Amino acid sequence: MPARNVLNQIKERFEPSILRVDVPSDNRLFLYVTPGVVRDICNHVFRDLDARYVVSIGIDDRPYSGQFTVAHNFGFEREKVLSSILVNLPADDPVIDSISPAVPAANWAEREFRDLLGIEPVGCPSMKRLVLPDGWPEGVHPLRKDFSWDLKPAKFDENKVFAFDDPPEGCVVVPFGPFHPTLDEPAHFRLYVEGEIVRGCEYRGFMVHRGIEKLADTVLTYNEIPMMAERICGICGCVHSVAYAQAVEQAAAIEPPARARFIRTIMLELERLHSHLLWVGLANHILGFDTLFMQSFRMREPIMWLCERITGNRKTYGLCVIGGVRWDITPEIKDDINRILDQLEKEWIAAAKAVQGDRNLQKRTKGVGIADAALVKDLGLIGPIARASGVPQDCRRDFPYAAYDQVDFQVITQAGCDVWSRVLVRVLEVFESIRIIRQCLEKMPAGPIQLQLDDELPPGRIGLSSIEAPRGEAHHFVVTGEENRPRRWRVRAPTYQNLQGIPAMIKDQQLADMTISLGSIDPCFSCTDRLEILDIKSGDVRVYSQQEIVNMTRRV
Amino acid sequence: MLSKLCQRAFKKSIWVYHANSGGCNGCDIEVLNVLTPYYDVERFGIKLVGSPRHADVMLCQGPALRSTAKALERAYQAMPAPKLVFAIGSCACGGGIWYDSYSVIGPVDKVIPVDFYVPGCPPRPEAIVYGVAVALGLVDKKVAPVKLKQLEFPIARYHPEDLECKDDMVVYTKLDRI
Repeated sequence: MPARNVLNQIKERFEPSILRVDVPSDNRLFLYVTPGVVRDICNHVFRDLDARYVVSIGIDDRPYSGQFTVAHNFGFEREKVLSSILVNLPADDPVIDSISPAVPAANWAEREFRDLLGIEPVGCPSMKRLVLPDGWPEGVHPLRKDFSWDLKPAKFDENKVFAFDDPPEGCVVVPFGPFHPTLDEPAHFRLYVEGEIVRGCEYRGFMVHRGIEKLADTVLTYNEIPMMAERICGICGCVHSVAYAQAVEQAAAIEPPARARFIRTIMLELERLHSHLLWVGLANHILGFDTLFMQSFRMREPIMWLCERITGNRKTYGLCVIGGVRWDITPEIKDDINRILDQLEKEWIAAAKAVQGDRNLQKRTKGVGIADAALVKDLGLIGPIARASGVPQDCRRDFPYAAYDQVDFQVITQAGCDVWSRVLVRVLEVFESIRIIRQCLEKMPAGPIQLQLDDELPPGRIGLSSIEAPRGEAHHFVVTGEENRPRRWRVRAPTYQNLQGIPAMIKDQQLADMTISLGSIDPCFSCTDRLEILDIKSGDVRVYSQQEIVNMTRRV
Repeated sequence: MLSKLCQRAFKKSIWVYHANSGGCNGCDIEVLNVLTPYYDVERFGIKLVGSPRHADVMLCQGPALRSTAKALERAYQAMPAPKLVFAIGSCACGGGIWYDSYSVIGPVDKVIPVDFYVPGCPPRPEAIVYGVAVALGLVDKKVAPVKLKQLEFPIARYHPEDLECKDDMVVYTKLDRI
């Protein structure tokens, strides 16, 4: 019982402060603790037990228990346990000790629940607005249950400007974004530059905040949400819909059929293939190596056609329902997949050789955008960034889901900590994905692809699900609810953590390397923002105003 | 008429600026896709540029959000005339599945004038190429325009002001007006 072992370790020090314990399975642990010890217990879990910080979630539970709830999620990789440390807070005074001083990675998540739910993290080092637009009135919190999803606050001040910090002495401000040629999506960086060297930056992002989580707990139903989850991000959409479905299934103790789990695995890996190929293309485009950009898009296109053949759409697959999948893989499609994978493997061997042997590429990326293992730990960096820093972290192996426990694959790591290592990690992962898909096709059992669910899902249960998206771990947190929809659904996309590492990665680097450093995390702002905008400065992250953005657009 | 005008106004290669005002990225990568070998729009002289000041055409993706509306407007104003705006994808055309959420203003045409719409979630690369080609007069529309005409005979109209209560019944007082 790995979850029990973790629990016993925490109990050794904090037994009197633990109010309630829930161990629904071997690899899930829910601890309800008193508000006073939350910082100590998180510090203990994060530093002494060496857990990885995942996300913090604020929940408005007032209609049910009359309280607010805050959950801090941690992942224990060695024990393969995902845990949630929950604290109940009084409805009239929702104040909690900030854990950011102990766990730096929690900064954004705490500011997010401050913006969206009005839960005050006391002692948080940065209290600037993160998610909501600058003109949004103070004291209006959209994720509270008494806020209607379509309310447009009357006091919205269109001209309000985000208050940036003053630039350090001797530095020039260079705006980067919101619309920038190397960014597909809007995000704004305010770079402080001395000569050619970046001394710091401030980030105002969350410009793609669409209010998705609010729509899920007010308007949509369980089986409609996967459709929206796919549209959180156009590239890793399948990841979000599978993660959501798994979180609900785990909360309601539903076990999807084996064939459905294999089909999910295959689609997730196909998505990783097209995403990695896209990234290698874009990264080379940023670096000016356009031949490979064109080539990798050419190799990628058959995968898009294949996905269309399987699911009927090139990107948003409409794959998941609670308790299974919608699309089956027929024998003819199986042959197609094998044929396309063979072709891709052959071509990718040539491409990988071209990338690995390219001196210009190496000179441009080696020693750029350094993120060492200590930074990875502190800021909770994940996915290819962590693996390129020698941290063998991969949810497919650490918290097996779908059919990953039945296939054999390697976790690719590199020790360089720089952009070059991230290129190598992604290039080599393509081969692992191809291997996984082949094994799945071989081992896939016959049988139904969906469960018939006759009963209503039980309300008030919590589900956690982590999935290794192409960019890192995507984490979904679901509290089931009444009226056939969840009470709370929180999405933590990989870029949410990785973006917090950017200020440290670009500090004291050439300005010209900024674009590839940012590009190397494969930023996906639509995932991250779901709701909002951001800024970066010398290690801490902040939010931006409209007027600022307007001014920047002018200067551009 | 507009396509004829386009043929005159955009005789030479058109340069395209793409602005994502808050979409999910799906349309972005399809737009990138049309630049790459399989769809290759450069054969029509279409090229992606980094600044709205160089652009003839703006491709908008994603719904207009409160946080990006101003920036989008500025980008539009920065484009030199004559200029065209395409709304690419369901979100830009109609607001998408989050059209009435608290942080979403709605379709892009609530913020800037839109000339052409390419729907789809996301639209296929072929659809984007076709939409641009139709707009520029490179190919003909395959759908016949439907013209609606006012019918010639008057349609009886319901006049609630002529209703009256008489002995538990509701009757029309001026039957001839119906």
